[in-house]
Amino acid sequence: MTVFLLIFAVAAGFYMAWNIGANDCANAMGTVVGSGSVSLRKAIILAAIFEFAGAFLVGSSVADTIKGNIVPVESFASIQLFSLGMLAALLAASLWLNVATAMGQPVSTTHAIIGAVVGFAVLANGPGCVRWSQMGGIAASWVISPVVGALLAYLAYACVRRFVLNSRHPVFMARRAVPVAAGLVIFIMTMSVVFRGLPKLRLDMSLPQALLTSAAVAFVAGGAIWLNVRANRRHVLLKHRYAVIESWFGRLQLVTACYMAFAHGANDVANAIGPLAGAIEGLHKGTLTAKAPIPPWLLALGGLGIVMGLATYGYKVIESIGKRITEITPTRGFSAELGTATTVLVCSKLGLPISTTFVIVGAVMGVGMARGFAALDLRVIRKIFASWLVTIPISAVLSAILFQLLRVIAGR
Amino acid sequence: MMRRLDSLFGRSPFEPLVEHARKVHQCVEMVRPIADAVLASDGEKCRQLQHEMSKTEYEADLLKDKVREALPHRYFLPVDREDIANFLRQMDRIADDAEDFAVASTLRTLRVPQELHADFLALVDKVVQVSEALLNVAEHLGQLQKEAFAGPEAQEVTQKIRQVCFMEWESDKLSRKLARHYYGLDSIDPITLIILEKLSRALSGIADHAENVGKNLRLMIIRK
Repeated sequence: MTVFLLIFAVAAGFYMAWNIGANDCANAMGTVVGSGSVSLRKAIILAAIFEFAGAFLVGSSVADTIKGNIVPVESFASIQLFSLGMLAALLAASLWLNVATAMGQPVSTTHAIIGAVVGFAVLANGPGCVRWSQMGGIAASWVISPVVGALLAYLAYACVRRFVLNSRHPVFMARRAVPVAAGLVIFIMTMSVVFRGLPKLRLDMSLPQALLTSAAVAFVAGGAIWLNVRANRRHVLLKHRYAVIESWFGRLQLVTACYMAFAHGANDVANAIGPLAGAIEGLHKGTLTAKAPIPPWLLALGGLGIVMGLATYGYKVIESIGKRITEITPTRGFSAELGTATTVLVCSKLGLPISTTFVIVGAVMGVGMARGFAALDLRVIRKIFASWLVTIPISAVLSAILFQLLRVIAGR
Repeated sequence: MMRRLDSLFGRSPFEPLVEHARKVHQCVEMVRPIADAVLASDGEKCRQLQHEMSKTEYEADLLKDKVREALPHRYFLPVDREDIANFLRQMDRIADDAEDFAVASTLRTLRVPQELHADFLALVDKVVQVSEALLNVAEHLGQLQKEAFAGPEAQEVTQKIRQVCFMEWESDKLSRKLARHYYGLDSIDPITLIILEKLSRALSGIADHAENVGKNLRLMIIRK
């Protein structure tokens, strides 16, 4: 029975990861494919690489939170019950994701899984067992992260306007911007990997070490990109100036798209692997050490699931997005993606499971506030809030039901 | 979830705004043929042209409504909604003044003294020029929005707006010259004078409102 449940759990976790890849990956690559800066094929490959890397190298903090910090295992009558609950949560979240997507409704994988985890725990042990202070912090981050995303995106686009579009030689400044911004992105990504990273891979550096390493990597990469930019420069006619600036930012947008995929992998892999880790430890070892680190092979499994989802279904979404959203030109896409990815990555390091979609909407608003878009329909915010209000209770209830079912089947 | 993101972007109000500007200039372009008909004392022609003018002004009104529809309050815009509303209002007044000119020309078959013809036509031409320059500026709205109302494009447009203001000043001078001329005449039919006054006022109105449109656009660029 235990072996069967274990296999079932791994399958459920993989399925959840697949769902994440199928639904959410388009967030990163949609606009850069749409603006024509990169082909669909290359986008899929890059997305796969970076989603996996983000999941594997940075995903553990958030996974830890979902596994052990929302619902303490001690409150359960037996470890096996805890594991069953996590399994139920995985199934419930996946189910709701599929249903909502089929109905064309917006849905956040993060909200679904957290609602599900809270759902089965409340059914089993009553509301008192949930660590509400932790939940409060998470809920606060759901509200704060889009605001931060908006702020960063606003700053990014304001800088683009001030230092590139408004400068005396916009095309020259655009060329300059590419290695600088790329270097910044690489710096942040490297920092997220090496500062308190995976101890098993010796990526657990101290702050000064991490800063130095990241700076060095960023410098080298930025330098290489600068040389490439210089080799590709051409004299530009005044009337083509705008199109040329956008094309330079198109290359930069490729960097930020990979950055987004990385950040998304880091934050969302936990939605599948957190509960799975809890379920596996409980069923397999019979004990759960709250502080036990998530084994890298589990993170790799999650990363693989995401990549599979992207490769088998997600690419269709990428294609359809790019065709429809023409307003996000490379300068704006770059700003929004920079704001989103930085926010999501920082939250991932802090162990906060947030909804990347909320942050993206916030970032787009931020760019809008910097005069980036002709018109933004604020009604969408209402729809997204509605989806949040709907997802959490539904997945909670679903999870509770499935939990009961599993208890009956497992005879507990 | 990203599929939903395209509903985040609303219809741009700037395209309909440019369409409206084009239609308004169409109205102003009709002023010259009407002026010619007035000076030729061709009452029938005046009435014909006035019909066309009213029709065109009505089409402009429809386009104005289209712009207003693209401006619901739930939209977040890169410029103040007030600025767009003022821009539209002043544009609308240009069309109204052009129609007033056309209507005034049909009140009576005028016999305008020969000495006034040159000054009158000079004023008409200058006013049509102002409107052309303004249309040129308005056409840039789309590109301006793409470049976030910043950069060399915005500077070019600001330059052109300055030119529009300068030409409006020149049209003011011409209108005063014309007025001094016809008030200075020894004998002129008083009713002709009244109607000339109406025509002149309509022409100055066109130039004035064109200048205001330019100033509103400048506000859009500068503000925020």
